[in-house]
Amino acid sequence: MKRDNLFLREAWRLFFFLGIILINFPFVQIFDKPVLIGGIPLLLLYFLIGWPLSILVILIFSRYHADDHNHDKEKG
Amino acid sequence: MLSAPLVITLTLLYVGLLFVIALYAQKRQRDNKSIVNNSTVYTLSLAVFLTSWTYYGSVGRAATSGLDFLPIYLGPTLVAFCWWFTVRKLVRICKANKIVSIADFISSRYGKSVSLGALVTLFTLIGITPYIALQLKAVSRTFDIITTANISGVHILSQHYEALPAFIDTAFVFSVVLGLFAILFGARTLDSSESHDGMVATIAFESIVKLLALLLVGVYVTYFLFDGFSDVFTQATRQFPHITQTFLLGKTGSTSYATWFSLTFISMAAVMFLPRQFHMLVIENNNEEHIRAAMWKFPAYMFLITLFATPIAMAGLLLNQGDTTAADFFVLQIPLLNGHKWLALIVYIGGFSAAAGMIIVESMTMATMLLNHLFVPILLRFNRNNERNFSGLLINLKRMGILLVLGLGYLYHRTMANTTSLVDIGLISFVAVTQFVPAMIGGLYWKRANHFGVTIGLLLGFSIWTYTLLVPAFASAGLLPDSIVVDGPFQIGLLRPLELFGLTGLDVWSHALFWSFFFNFGSFLTISLLTQSSTEENEQAHRFVDVFAPAHRPAQLTRMVKAPTIMEFVELIGKFIGKKQAESAIADYLGNQEIEASGKLSDEHLPALKNFTELTLAGSVGAAPAKIIVENYLATRGSRMEDVFNVFGSVTLSRTSSREQLAVLYDVARQVGSGTSLKSTLDEILNLISHQFRIDLCVIWLYEESADDLQIRAKIPLGEEFDHEVAGLLHDPLLKETFIQGNYHVINDLSSALPSHRPLVKVGIKALLHVPIIAEGDTIGVLSAYSTSAKGLFTEEFIELLTSVANQIGIAWRNSCLTEEMIAVKEQEKELEIAKHIQHDLLPDKAPDVEGIELHGLCVPTNQIGGDYYDYLHRDRERIDLVIADVSGHSIGAALLIAETRAFIRAKSESLQGPAQIIRAVNAFILTDLDRAEMFITLFYASYDAINQTLRYASAGHNHPMIWRAASGRCDHLDVNGLILGVKEDVIYEEKETEMASGDLLILFTDGLTEAENHTGDFFGEDRLEELLREYHFLPTEQIIDRIMEQARLFTGTRSFRDDVTIVLMKTL
Repeated sequence: MKRDNLFLREAWRLFFFLGIILINFPFVQIFDKPVLIGGIPLLLLYFLIGWPLSILVILIFSRYHADDHNHDKEKG
Repeated sequence: MLSAPLVITLTLLYVGLLFVIALYAQKRQRDNKSIVNNSTVYTLSLAVFLTSWTYYGSVGRAATSGLDFLPIYLGPTLVAFCWWFTVRKLVRICKANKIVSIADFISSRYGKSVSLGALVTLFTLIGITPYIALQLKAVSRTFDIITTANISGVHILSQHYEALPAFIDTAFVFSVVLGLFAILFGARTLDSSESHDGMVATIAFESIVKLLALLLVGVYVTYFLFDGFSDVFTQATRQFPHITQTFLLGKTGSTSYATWFSLTFISMAAVMFLPRQFHMLVIENNNEEHIRAAMWKFPAYMFLITLFATPIAMAGLLLNQGDTTAADFFVLQIPLLNGHKWLALIVYIGGFSAAAGMIIVESMTMATMLLNHLFVPILLRFNRNNERNFSGLLINLKRMGILLVLGLGYLYHRTMANTTSLVDIGLISFVAVTQFVPAMIGGLYWKRANHFGVTIGLLLGFSIWTYTLLVPAFASAGLLPDSIVVDGPFQIGLLRPLELFGLTGLDVWSHALFWSFFFNFGSFLTISLLTQSSTEENEQAHRFVDVFAPAHRPAQLTRMVKAPTIMEFVELIGKFIGKKQAESAIADYLGNQEIEASGKLSDEHLPALKNFTELTLAGSVGAAPAKIIVENYLATRGSRMEDVFNVFGSVTLSRTSSREQLAVLYDVARQVGSGTSLKSTLDEILNLISHQFRIDLCVIWLYEESADDLQIRAKIPLGEEFDHEVAGLLHDPLLKETFIQGNYHVINDLSSALPSHRPLVKVGIKALLHVPIIAEGDTIGVLSAYSTSAKGLFTEEFIELLTSVANQIGIAWRNSCLTEEMIAVKEQEKELEIAKHIQHDLLPDKAPDVEGIELHGLCVPTNQIGGDYYDYLHRDRERIDLVIADVSGHSIGAALLIAETRAFIRAKSESLQGPAQIIRAVNAFILTDLDRAEMFITLFYASYDAINQTLRYASAGHNHPMIWRAASGRCDHLDVNGLILGVKEDVIYEEKETEMASGDLLILFTDGLTEAENHTGDFFGEDRLEELLREYHFLPTEQIIDRIMEQARLFTGTRSFRDDVTIVLMKTL
């Protein structure tokens, strides 16, 4: 239980740093092109899809973490 | 176009609705059925982050520079992923310490510093003013647009029409209305740490309104005016091909990567540390579990509210033929242009909600900060003794604070807001708040972070912020000459506010952020590393950084001297938060704690009550002022906290102590516990030290009261040949200093010491160490170690060891004092026991055999030594004399005087005739002694003739004996006059005679019997005695006395006799 918990705690940090990488230079350069997909600029589309996806991941993780947390109050 | 009265009416109705919601939430809060205590309302209240800046500005930004509005929401999304650690920690700390604002947090964390609290408050006030101005601008401008716009004209925004008559300023009216609202729901009570359900519910409702309004207009534009996202973008890019560029970053796009990153970073800081965000996120959090839900709900809200920003922007561009002059208000303009005035009205209400929510929370939190960190410290400075009742004044000051904040915002709006776009104004505030990041993150995770570092960091950060952002803004508004920005002050190019130190190529935000953060964070780190924090600050650092860790640090044992009573604490709190609140707070706190009759708490609970008082006050006036208030109060009363003497605390063992040190300490402790004499204990301790560490000379000096100086109590080496040398050491000034100051002194090389140490050098001493010997908090002597062979002998470890040894000596000394005292007490008790036996032996052991009478006597002393005496003097078979006497006091002196009296009477009664003569002679004999001892004696002397059955008697002030007459069944009092012994030299005593018949009872007694008291203070009295004589007259005298004593004891109940009780009872047969 403790190890799982530790993993989860590290996971939040991972998401945070991953998020910073995903929305910044140079990663964002992959989508930073004058291309329209269905008329919508690629970069805008990237954010319009990537943003809700990341929120979904947090939603799933926070639920999972909540179940775990009920068994083992973590120390932060 | 909508008419102004209609819009005003609807706005007021909406404000009325907000009031109703707030009132309802407050009612539910009072009924303990809070409607705000759930994660959705919590999330919605966090959406106060999204102000009219988002509402109108995002579209404006999307129309002019493409995607750069997005980082403002992406940053908070990312930072929300960390809330489970950061915000939960903040919440835990703030609840535990009753922290009510970000200024309070920083001030508390860094040693409850008043100056830091004031600094943060001032900076926040300056930083936040443009943001307030922005909201006022948005609300008043949209009001003007909606009421004056000409639907047929496309360029309705290019010119600003005033809807209201010129003498009424729309922004001013809004400031007043929103200010009143904030006062009503945010400044109802003083305690800012309690949750404001009314306000939270209002904000949450407003968040729903602004989201729905924006979604509504978004759906309308995207799916009714156009055919979805694709269509609006396709049309826009076809008509304005350059738009594709604005949706790119980097060199080709309109936003550089640096700008992108800067905006992400500052919005991360803003969502946590803007005063209103901190308040909603941390202070209004009722349940830590809500944070977890908010981690995805809040980003989801932000996603939804910004979802249609780009399509609306594109639509606005298309409708305005590419004109972006008033792109900030496209959201409102599009429905108006298309004739949907009701939709426009909804948009306007949504925008009003966004602005109003922000203004209410921001002004309230700012007012709390102003009150706690500026107003209260100033008040306390002028009123040190807390004499006045502040509760009314404080709440009004808080209300004034709200109006002040709004007033400043209005002023900024009047002078500056027309020159800058919404987003630009908002970003100025965001960069200001970013300056708190080092202090906050350092405060949460880095114990070394201290208030010097924070203060300097903040001062530098805010100076750079002012210089790089505020100065250019002022210049563009014409308040400062343009040349400062263009050429730099005094034509110094390196100091150009927008290209500081020659740093070019960055946008204004990245430039300001880089320099302000560089100086702020840099000095924060460097100074924190280079300086030491105070003990109190260290304690706070532990409390904050380790808030989740179990409290393993031992609580410091303190006690309060001259502690105030509970009521006095209540009075103190009442002065600041009102009497009723103070009483209920204390009642809740005390619960079932034991309270002494005097209204004081027991010693161990007092420090906790003091802390509680401080915390309660902190909820209303902030931590730093609360500390000052309580300390001032205790100081004026003469109360203070002091450490409890801890026997176990005297031995300080660190992990670094060597085996030798531990061994010495162990041996010393064993020696102290062995119970041998002090002298041999001290000798043995010195022996141990010198043996283990090869110290040439060791001396224990103890203070002797008789000599009023330190005296040698033990020394090593022992030989007398050293005595002379050692005596000379007494004149070492450091020795006295150690004793007086109670601190150790060490000189590891005497050759370079002061001239006053030369005598020491002369006798060959090269290094010395004095450690104070402390017992129960008082210095009682000094333990000195001298080296004649080596310099630099006394290391820190050795000093630590010797300090522990000195403490052990203190304990040994205390033990020995206690033992001496105990021996003295024992000896005294033994003496008293002997005296008691002697005195007892002086009383007649049995009644003499005289014909025709039965006789018995009893003496019950209250103490070991009594002050009463009785005696029988047997003349012959027909005659007996009876004496009873009572001397004042129960001391040994009294006993001796009794013995003297007895001896005199026994010796002289034969030769003297009659009771009066005898008493007169006794008085003459004992007068001098009584006079000297300042005592006196009452005495009754009776002489009984068994043949004639006559009783002759005389009295020296003794209480009157009684004869119970068998014939009448009544008592006669033998009242005869006579002065007590020991007053005058020659006294003539009266003598009387009475006859006794068979069955009569003569009772002599001392006042210990008749003046025995019961619990109501009534005396046993002569009537009761007479009654008892009548009742038991037929019994033998011994049994009658037993019954009398039994009844007297019953009468006194649980009380013991206050005086000796003596009874002599004679029955004629």
